[in-house]
Amino acid sequence: MSTRVITFFSELYDSRNVLHQLVAQQLILRYRRTVLGYLWTLINPLLMMSVMAVVFSALFKADLQTFALFLFAGMIPWNFFSSVVTQSGTAFINNEGLIKKIYIPKALFPLSIASALLIDSLFSFIALFAIIIALGGTISWALLFLPVSYALLFVFAMGFGMIMSVATVFFRDLQYVMAIAMQALFFLTPILYKPDALAGRTKWLIEINPVTPFIALFRAPLIDASLPSSDAILQATMIAVITIIVGLTFFLRQEKKVVFRL
Amino acid sequence: MSSIHVEDLSIKFLIYHDRSPSLKDYVANVFKRNARSSSSDFWALRNVSFNIEAGDRVGIVGHNGAGKSTLLKALCRVYESSEGNISVVGRIAPLLEIGAGFHPEFTGRENIYLNGSILGYSKQQLKDIEPEVIAFAELEEFIDTPVKYYSTGMYMRLAFSLATAMHPDILVLDEIFAGGAFMTKAKTRMYDLIDKANIMIMVSHDHQLVSSLCNRVIWMDHGRLVRDGTPEEIIPEYLGGGAHA
Repeated sequence: MSTRVITFFSELYDSRNVLHQLVAQQLILRYRRTVLGYLWTLINPLLMMSVMAVVFSALFKADLQTFALFLFAGMIPWNFFSSVVTQSGTAFINNEGLIKKIYIPKALFPLSIASALLIDSLFSFIALFAIIIALGGTISWALLFLPVSYALLFVFAMGFGMIMSVATVFFRDLQYVMAIAMQALFFLTPILYKPDALAGRTKWLIEINPVTPFIALFRAPLIDASLPSSDAILQATMIAVITIIVGLTFFLRQEKKVVFRL
Repeated sequence: MSSIHVEDLSIKFLIYHDRSPSLKDYVANVFKRNARSSSSDFWALRNVSFNIEAGDRVGIVGHNGAGKSTLLKALCRVYESSEGNISVVGRIAPLLEIGAGFHPEFTGRENIYLNGSILGYSKQQLKDIEPEVIAFAELEEFIDTPVKYYSTGMYMRLAFSLATAMHPDILVLDEIFAGGAFMTKAKTRMYDLIDKANIMIMVSHDHQLVSSLCNRVIWMDHGRLVRDGTPEEIIPEYLGGGAHA
């Protein structure tokens, strides 16, 4: 198994050229021949979040400005995670023609999706950050923790993405199941509300939700100008490590069957 | 020195009789206890063994469904062996399908870089070969146009020109590439590529082409290796056997 893991990574490294091309392909193609081009990547989530901020701040009777800040900081990691999970489902299916004709390391497909989405996320983060500052967010040293937050979130999402990419080839229904599951998970993740807001019967759902600590990793530096609690860091690290190990193991066991099932 | 060793290679496909299995079928099958009833095994290759050494020019012949293309794809690692082993020494170039990995929305130039990196060229290599590839394909004027606007001929010329721009140690050719449907200058380029390759393996139904290009013939039938020898021995025998079958 360990030699397989080594070959896996050395092959990936040798194919970094292909990865670069696949990421560029996704970033360039999406908005080719549109007037606003890449700006859509920023406009789309910004508009969506603004609408949510207005509606839910009224609903929760919260101050719009404070709530918008709170929401934005939670939406950034959530949007990245949920896009990686849903888009990884089509990683192999959309590249069927290529996979059946030429050998390239299969992990490149989910990895290129996650990398392209990370770039998107970083850009929308910059745009949102400007808004956060304008709305009265504070700049502090704690912001330097954000690269670590992003790294942990990427590893976590990538683990899920690898499982999704392979599993969807075997069960095509999974794409649709996951679309619903992610919507449910959105409401079960403390994005619109504080983690302690859901008390009573549903509380345990928040506690076992693996995404919860990752939201905290972004919220603490952005909203509270403080480092995330050591509990959140520890939990997120453990969850990320476990997810990527499970994802990698599953992927290495199953990837060879993929070409026969496409 | 390049070499290929194939030992007891078998490749199994699952054939689905009606449609692709969904989660529902899967769950239903668990209860029905006759899981996988909607599919059956098909052995595209069965216990195939051979060695190819440097200098060999191998033609693979056989009827439709003999497993020729499956064998080529297995050598190029597209299909993983179900049983047995393949070991390859040397850089293998997959020229199975012309233009695989071209993206219609990308321009010719962008596709040179995209497809080129998939074919295993480095960025520097691609920069070096780019002018030659464009010149050979005679596409100087249209190289910055998306390839979806190309005619079939333009598309094929670009794909061919790119795929044959580098000289691999091991050249693997499927039917179309080996066939004579190209212009003379493409043929010259093809033969040059074959000449310089350390090992060449091709699949073709054209016996004359096989006789002229190869010094060894492998005859496949229903996934098994029937005969392996020189073209002088095998081709007449294959053609004779073909008449009975």
